[in-house]
Amino acid sequence: MTSTVDGLPPASRPLVAEVKDLRVHFQAKAGLVHAVDGVSFEIRDGETLGLVGETGCGKSVTARSFIRLIPSPPGVYAGGEIDFWSSAARRKGEGPIDLLQIPQKEMLEIRGDRIAMIFQDPGKALNPALTIGSQMSEVLFQHRSQELMEAALEEDPPAILRRAARQQSSALERLLLKLPPWRGRMRRLSRRVDELVARALTETQISNPRKIMDSYPHELSGGMKQRVLIAQALACNPDLLIADEPTTALDVTIQARILELIAELQQRLETSVLYISHDLSLVREICDRVAVMYAGRIVETGTTKEIFSNPLHPYTRGLMAAVPSAAHKRGELAAIEGNVPELVDPPPACRFNSRCPFAVEICRTTDPRAIPIGDEHSVACFAYESGDRTELPTLEQWV
Amino acid sequence: MTVVSSAASHLSETVAERAVISLRGVEKHFPIKDGALQRVVGQVRAVDGVSFAIRPGETVGLVGESGCGKTTLGRCISGLAPTTGGKIYFRLGDDAAARLDEIEAIPEAERSQDQLAEIERIDAGHRIDQLSGPAWKTYRRNCQMVFQDSFSSLNPRQLVKDIVGRPLRVYKEASGSELTERVVSLLESVGLGRQHLYRYPHQFSGGQRQRISIARALALDPEFIVLDEPTSALDVSVQAQILNLLHELQQERGLTYLFISHDLGVVRLMSDRIAVMYLGEVVEQGTALELFESSRHPYTDALLAANPDISSETTEMKGLSGTVPDPANPPEGCRFHTRCPVATPACGWEVDDAVDWLQTKETLLGALIDVERRTNFDATLVFHDVDSAAAVTTAMAEGDIPAAMKGALANLARDGTKVRISLTPVEPVRLADVGGQHLTSCILHTGL
Repeated sequence: MTSTVDGLPPASRPLVAEVKDLRVHFQAKAGLVHAVDGVSFEIRDGETLGLVGETGCGKSVTARSFIRLIPSPPGVYAGGEIDFWSSAARRKGEGPIDLLQIPQKEMLEIRGDRIAMIFQDPGKALNPALTIGSQMSEVLFQHRSQELMEAALEEDPPAILRRAARQQSSALERLLLKLPPWRGRMRRLSRRVDELVARALTETQISNPRKIMDSYPHELSGGMKQRVLIAQALACNPDLLIADEPTTALDVTIQARILELIAELQQRLETSVLYISHDLSLVREICDRVAVMYAGRIVETGTTKEIFSNPLHPYTRGLMAAVPSAAHKRGELAAIEGNVPELVDPPPACRFNSRCPFAVEICRTTDPRAIPIGDEHSVACFAYESGDRTELPTLEQWV
Repeated sequence: MTVVSSAASHLSETVAERAVISLRGVEKHFPIKDGALQRVVGQVRAVDGVSFAIRPGETVGLVGESGCGKTTLGRCISGLAPTTGGKIYFRLGDDAAARLDEIEAIPEAERSQDQLAEIERIDAGHRIDQLSGPAWKTYRRNCQMVFQDSFSSLNPRQLVKDIVGRPLRVYKEASGSELTERVVSLLESVGLGRQHLYRYPHQFSGGQRQRISIARALALDPEFIVLDEPTSALDVSVQAQILNLLHELQQERGLTYLFISHDLGVVRLMSDRIAVMYLGEVVEQGTALELFESSRHPYTDALLAANPDISSETTEMKGLSGTVPDPANPPEGCRFHTRCPVATPACGWEVDDAVDWLQTKETLLGALIDVERRTNFDATLVFHDVDSAAAVTTAMAEGDIPAAMKGALANLARDGTKVRISLTPVEPVRLADVGGQHLTSCILHTGL
């Protein structure tokens, strides 16, 4: 796999996932909320794609759609597809699978194994009633029970042990497993699991994994909890890692360490990462490509360099100008006036038109489409549609 | 104390001859209660000896990681939490501050009756926990607060008119239609309007709710506002609106701000002077420019290095190892030495650091039975077996421990399963001036 990827320019790397016109709606009292409304982007092998946007723009909903974590009802997958190429399928030369269409059973196999997710708040993502070791071993029991049995037990273990290795034992079986002849084999199994968990924790630079495994989440600091979650997500060596604002709840000094860790592990494990954030400066540091989302739509995509050196969409420009930096004078931050529009049954229009200083008639009546500007850059703005209004003010003029 | 108080007076060279708020060794300790009788078994030192002054019309930024005590300090200043030590003065004149410095320089036992009476007189007039009724009212109406979470700081069952009009009603400033008009003009000054009077907080977006909070804080035309992370719950585009609004209001009304935030970019933009807090103490303070251009404390350096900057392409973010120590049992010497990349042997290495180092050694930690502590710098570690004790001794002697800690190791002796370690004791660090109103507690810069 490495040999095919290495050395290739990002644009010609094989795809890991492709989102095509994804629509996720929510049924609310006031009407249908178009939380994600026609989102398309692709994630290539081994890259980090940043999905940036403000609160409520639908970036988390997009990410959760990958592993179908949207509760339904009220959520509705109203259209589009998410194509996913697992590394195994690619090796065999098979086509992609549509993550929105596959049966629940297949989804369970992919979730946590081929596609893993790191959540925003490590305090909420860990079960407070289980030790770190026992909740991390769940992932392995779920996805690696076959390998576990092969490593720890005899050739063709009886059904009672097979079920135990999948954590599907009944109450009676759990009782029986504590007695001979099963007891010894269960111990071997759990020793093997503990070894794997400890190895996964060591990967995330946790210094004393055995001690951490015996502790409960409340005994750990925020940064440590996030490390545990990362270890858990990467335990099965996934093809795609979805990181949903993994450092928002952490202090800057810890954040920097966690980002270093994710970057290092990604390089080593050759995982593709979908990195969701509201923080532009962070995305600039860690992502290869960026997609900017606003009110349920992608307004601009491109390589990080392109987006930050030559932002095209008025929203992207406004967002960048609004981040306080050394260059700003007090009271002269470029704020984007107004608020994010309601997404209940929105009419066809550019979603940014109410806050856009350059909006014209067509912006209020027609949906914009993504216009390619160069190979690696596309923008959904009418200003770039035809030749007559390409002269949008530059970033400097906006500020 | 002397160094710190001279520092406080040092800052009084600016325009007016009084400070709005002066802090002198402010402490806020929370008791830790345990057992069936809820006996006090320890103190969480949330704020531990903070001194600085806030001058009229300026913005003082207070930065630090979560848990460093910056919010607690803000609450103490605004009178929402009683302090457990030190003094907070309101509108303390510079001459009075100088007198206090003078008297407090004298050891407590040697102060004369006159001097004690003078302190008492100054305290009665300015110290916020000793103010008389009317003076207390003046202080309260002149010191307002805007909270971080506008969801929990606005009463969900009250209309905007009631929320913003409440201070006016409490202080009997207005009633009836006059009250309504005052509220409307307040709302207009924060970018809202008459149409918002009869709505509930939940009908507003985060940015608008924060505007309502600001309008409420402005209602009594205060002199000073504590802004406790006013924009950390907001998106950047809305954050920019609120920051601009706060600046406009300050220009119009001559407000004084204490701006508490963990976001260095925001603090840099908003503040004239900045104080950096770590584990309940101010480790560095100075003008915003000084602090960002030439910081004199490794913790400030670490914060700056960890902060991603949007305007530069190739900044490499660097984090800090380890976690913030327990504020109930803060490290000796410089509190930052456990995480400091440039720590020296004189930074306050103690027994706890040796035990923390053992934590990273899986096999050795299991063999540790007991720590017999004589002082924080001198203890005997008792191990299960001779081998582990020998292994620890060798590891420590051969420099498996951080180099700075090894330098502080004065004595290391093994007797069977017991390892006695003693480290060079150090004094607590103090803030000291390193020139140009720039104070730091780092011994590398102060040379103390």
